[in-house]
Amino acid sequence: MASANRSLNRYFNINGWFFVAPAALLIGVFMVYPILYSLWMSFQTGKGMMTQFGGLANIKRLFDDPMFVLALYNTMIFFIVQVPVMLTLALFLASLLDNPNLKFRGLIRTAIFLPCVSSLVGYAVLFKSMFVQDGLINSTLVGLHITDQPIPWMTDPFWARVLIIIAITWRWTGYNMIFFLAALQNIDKSIYEASRIDGVPSWGRFFYLTVPMLKPVILFTTVTSTIGTLQLFDEVRNIMTSDAGSAAGPSNSALTLSVYIYNLTFKFVPSFGYAATVSYVIVLAVALLAIIQFYALREKD
Amino acid sequence: MDRFTRALAAFFTYAFLGIMAFLSVFPFIWMVMGATNTSIDIVKGKVGIGSALMDNIRAFATTVDVPLVFWNSIKIALIATALTLIVASLAGYGFEVFRSKYRERVYSAILLTLMVPFAALMIPLFIMMGKLGLIDTHWAVILPTIGSAFVIFYFRQSTKAFPSELRDAARVDGLKEWQIFLLIYVPVMRSTYAAAFIIVFMASWNNYLWPLIVLQSNEMKTITLVVSSLASAYYPDFGAVMVSAILATLPTLIVFFVMQRQFVQGMIGSVK
Amino acid sequence: MNKTFKTSLAALVFSTSSVLAMAAAQAKEITIWCWDPNFNVAIMKAAGEIYSKTHPDIKINVVDFAKADVEAKLQTTLASGVTTSLPDIVLIEDYGAQKYIQSFPGAFASMNDVVDYSKFAPYKVKLATVDGKTYSMPFDSGVTGLYYRKDYLEQAGFKPEDMQNLTWDKYIEIGKKVSEKTGKKMMGLDPNDAGLIRIMMQSAGGWYFNDKGELNITGNEALKAALKTEGKLLSSGITKPASGWSNWVSTFTSGDVATVITGVWITGTIKATKDQENKWGVAPIPKLDVKGATDASNLGGSSWYVIASSPEKAEAIDFLNSVYAKNVDFYQKILVDQGAVGSLMEARKGAAYETADKFFGGEKIWQKFADWLSKVPSVNYGVFTNEVDSAVAAQLPALGKGGDVDAALKAIEAQAKSSMQ
Repeated sequence: MASANRSLNRYFNINGWFFVAPAALLIGVFMVYPILYSLWMSFQTGKGMMTQFGGLANIKRLFDDPMFVLALYNTMIFFIVQVPVMLTLALFLASLLDNPNLKFRGLIRTAIFLPCVSSLVGYAVLFKSMFVQDGLINSTLVGLHITDQPIPWMTDPFWARVLIIIAITWRWTGYNMIFFLAALQNIDKSIYEASRIDGVPSWGRFFYLTVPMLKPVILFTTVTSTIGTLQLFDEVRNIMTSDAGSAAGPSNSALTLSVYIYNLTFKFVPSFGYAATVSYVIVLAVALLAIIQFYALREKD
Repeated sequence: MDRFTRALAAFFTYAFLGIMAFLSVFPFIWMVMGATNTSIDIVKGKVGIGSALMDNIRAFATTVDVPLVFWNSIKIALIATALTLIVASLAGYGFEVFRSKYRERVYSAILLTLMVPFAALMIPLFIMMGKLGLIDTHWAVILPTIGSAFVIFYFRQSTKAFPSELRDAARVDGLKEWQIFLLIYVPVMRSTYAAAFIIVFMASWNNYLWPLIVLQSNEMKTITLVVSSLASAYYPDFGAVMVSAILATLPTLIVFFVMQRQFVQGMIGSVK
Repeated sequence: MNKTFKTSLAALVFSTSSVLAMAAAQAKEITIWCWDPNFNVAIMKAAGEIYSKTHPDIKINVVDFAKADVEAKLQTTLASGVTTSLPDIVLIEDYGAQKYIQSFPGAFASMNDVVDYSKFAPYKVKLATVDGKTYSMPFDSGVTGLYYRKDYLEQAGFKPEDMQNLTWDKYIEIGKKVSEKTGKKMMGLDPNDAGLIRIMMQSAGGWYFNDKGELNITGNEALKAALKTEGKLLSSGITKPASGWSNWVSTFTSGDVATVITGVWITGTIKATKDQENKWGVAPIPKLDVKGATDASNLGGSSWYVIASSPEKAEAIDFLNSVYAKNVDFYQKILVDQGAVGSLMEARKGAAYETADKFFGGEKIWQKFADWLSKVPSVNYGVFTNEVDSAVAAQLPALGKGGDVDAALKAIEAQAKSSMQ
C-alpha cells in the first residue's frame, strides 16, 4: 500500500513538472536570466560599452543624485494619490453596478471598461490634444465657469501631476472595476437580506459586509496597481515629453523612476549599470509595498 | 426610505454613472471626430465633424503600407496570445492541481518577476536575441511575452473553482492527466480562456517598447510603431494620426465586443 | 565594320553590363535609419534616387522611425554588441554627436580620407570631430532666424526696418506694444523646453561646456544672460505658454503669435499655412547683452554617420560623399521640396538660394539664412548636453515666476555634476 502510494505520488509529481515545465523554462530563459544579467550590470560603471567593475559605486551614486531623489519622490506621489483614488472609484462604481435592477447596466459597464482597450500611443495623443492650454478641456471648464483662468495642465508642476493621474485613472479604473464587479457577483446576496432585516444602513452593509468579503480582490488589485504605478512609464513618455531638450513635465514634475531609467539608458550618455541599479530600487519598493499590503489585508482566519 | 429620497438617490446614481460613462467614452468620440478634421482644426480643439476624412485616410495610406503593418500586428498578437494561453493555463493548472513544496517555490519565483521593470531587461534580452539570430523577426517580439507571470497567476486562481469531483471521476475512468486537462478542463474553463484572451491580446497588441527595439525593417513594423512615428514628425499630420489611432484601436475593440459575455463570466470565475 | 556589327556589338556590351549590374544589385544594399517622413526620410530617398542613376548596382533602403526610437534602437544595439543588426548609415542629432562617438568608440567610421570637410560650415564639422577625426557627413543646419508677422507688427506701428539689429530688451518692448495694440502675444514658448536657452547661449559663443568639454555653468556669462532673458520673457506677459512640440507649432500656424524664433527647418511649416502668405518676414535673431554676442545661432540639425562595422561601409561613404559633399543641385532640390538648408557652403551659390520667395513677399530669405549660417559660432556640444539640458529645463518654470538666476545656475550645476558620472 505504501509503495502504491509512493508510485502515485511519483506519478503526480512527474505530471506536475510536465505541466509547469514550458512556463518555467520560458520564464527562466526570458525573465530570470536577464534579471540576473542586469543584477550583474548594476555593479558596472562607465559610459556605453566602456565599462569596468565598480563595486557599490552605483549605490553610492543614488544617494547624491538629486534627479534620482526627485524621480523617487514623484513616483511615490503618483502611487500614494493615484492608487487609492482609482481603486476607491472602481469599487464605488462596481457596487453601484452590482444592482440587478439598474437600467442600462451592461451599457454603462461596457462604457467604463472601454478605456483600457484603447491603444496606448493613440490615447496619449488624444489626451495631449484635449488638455493643451486652449484646448477642449480648458475651454469647456472656462465656458461652464468652473474656473475663470485656463488651467496650466502641461506647464505647471502641480497640474502636470494631476493630468498624469487623470490619464492613468481614466485608462485603468474600468479594468479594476471589472474585478470588483466579478467578486461582488460571487457574494451570496442572502447575507444582505439578513442584515437589511436587522436594520443595518446601506453604508454600513458596504463597509462591514462587502469590503471584508472583497479583501482578496482588493489585495489583488492593490498589488497589481502598485506594480503598474511604480513602473509608470508609457503615459509620461507619451504625454509629457516630446523632444530631447524637454524635461519630463514642467520642472521634471512627472519624472518617474522608469522614465529616469529610460533616460539613463537611451537619452543620456548610456549608463547601463546605473540604470540597472535604479531599476532594482523599483523592485525593492514594490517588494516592500507588496509585503505591507499583504499584511494589512491578510485574512484573519 | 420614502419615495422622494429613493427617487433622489436613483437620480444621483444615474447622473453619476452617466457622467462616468460619458467621460470614459468621450476620448473615443473625440478620436473619431478628429479623423474627419484637418490637422490645424484638431490642434485648435474643434468639436464637430469635419470634411477631411478622405484626405486623412489618403495621407495615412500613402505614407504607410497599411495592410502589411496591420497584418504584422494581427499575426504577432494572435500567435503570442495563443501560445501564452496554452503555456499559462498548463502551468496554472499544474501549480494548483499537483502541489509540491518545490513547485510552490518555483511559483513564488515566477510571481517575483512581476516586480522587475521591463526597461531593466531590455539590454540582456537584446543580446540574447542577437545570439539566437532573431533580431528583426516577429519571434523576437513573441517569445519573451509567452511566459507571463500574471496570466499564470490568473489561471491558477481560476483553477481553484474547477470542481475536483470532475477530475476524480475522470481518473477513475482511467483518463491520463493530459487527457483530463485537454478533454475536461479546457472545455469547462471556456470563459476563463475568453477573459485571458482579451487581456493578453490587448497587452500584445499595445506592446510598444520591446517591438520598437527588436524590429528593424519597414516590412516588420507593427501598427503601434507606425502611430508613434507619425505622431512625432517635425510637422505631424494629426488627421492621419487620428486615422491611424482608430485603426490601432479597432481590433481590440472588436475582440472585446465579440467576447464580452464570456469575458465577464471568466472574470467572475477567477475571483471566486 | 558595318553598321549591323556595330549595333550588335553595342547591344552585346550593353547586355553584359546590365547582367553584371543585376548580379551586383542583389549584393549591395545600403540601409539607413532616420526620422520624420516629411523631412529626413524624403530627403534621403531623393539622395538615393540621384545616386542610383550613376550606381544602378546599389539599392538605398530608408527605414523610418520616430526620433527617440532611432536613438533607443541605436543605443541598445551598440551596447549589445550585435553589430549585424545595425544599419549602414544612421541619422544623429548634432547635440548627441559627441555622446555617441565617445561612448561607443570604434562604432562609427571616420571619413577624413574621403570627404573634404573644409567645404562645410565649420561648426557642423567641429561638433563631430574627436582627436582630429571627423565622423559625420554634415547634413541639415538649424541656423536660426526671427520670423515675424508683418501685419501684426504694422498694426502696432513697426516696420520691417525696426526688426533688424534687435536686442532682447528691445524685442520685449516691441512685444508689449504688439500685445497692447493687437491682443496677440509676441511668441509661443514652452517653459519645459530649453531650446530658446540654447539658441541664445550659442549666439554668444557659449555652451554648457568649455572648449575642453568641461562643465561650465556658474561662471558662464552667455548662459547666465540667456537664463535672465528667458526669465524676463516669461514674466513680461508677452509669451503664450505652449506645451509640447505640436502645441507650440500651433501657436503660429493658428495666428496667435507675432513672431517665431527658431531653426530654419521651421520654414516649411510656416509656408504650409497658405492663408498667411505675404504676411511673414525674416530678420536676424535679437542679440544678448554680453561680450561676443552675435545675431546668428543654431537649433537642432543633424548629420549622417556610417557604421564602421558595416560590410557596405565603403559604398555608404561614397554615397554620402558624392551626393552630400558634391552635388549642389541636390541641395537646391531639397531646399525647394523640403525647405532643408544644408551645411555645404557652396550650395548657397545655387539657383534656389538666389530666388525670391513669394510666400515671404519676395524676400530672398534663403540667401539670408545662408549668410547667417556662415556666422554661427562654433561651440563644443560636449558629451552631456542632454543631461544638462534636462537640468536647465527643470529650472525654467521657477525663473518665469521671478526666481533668482544665480540660484538657478547653482541648482543646474549641482544636478549636472551628479548626472555626469
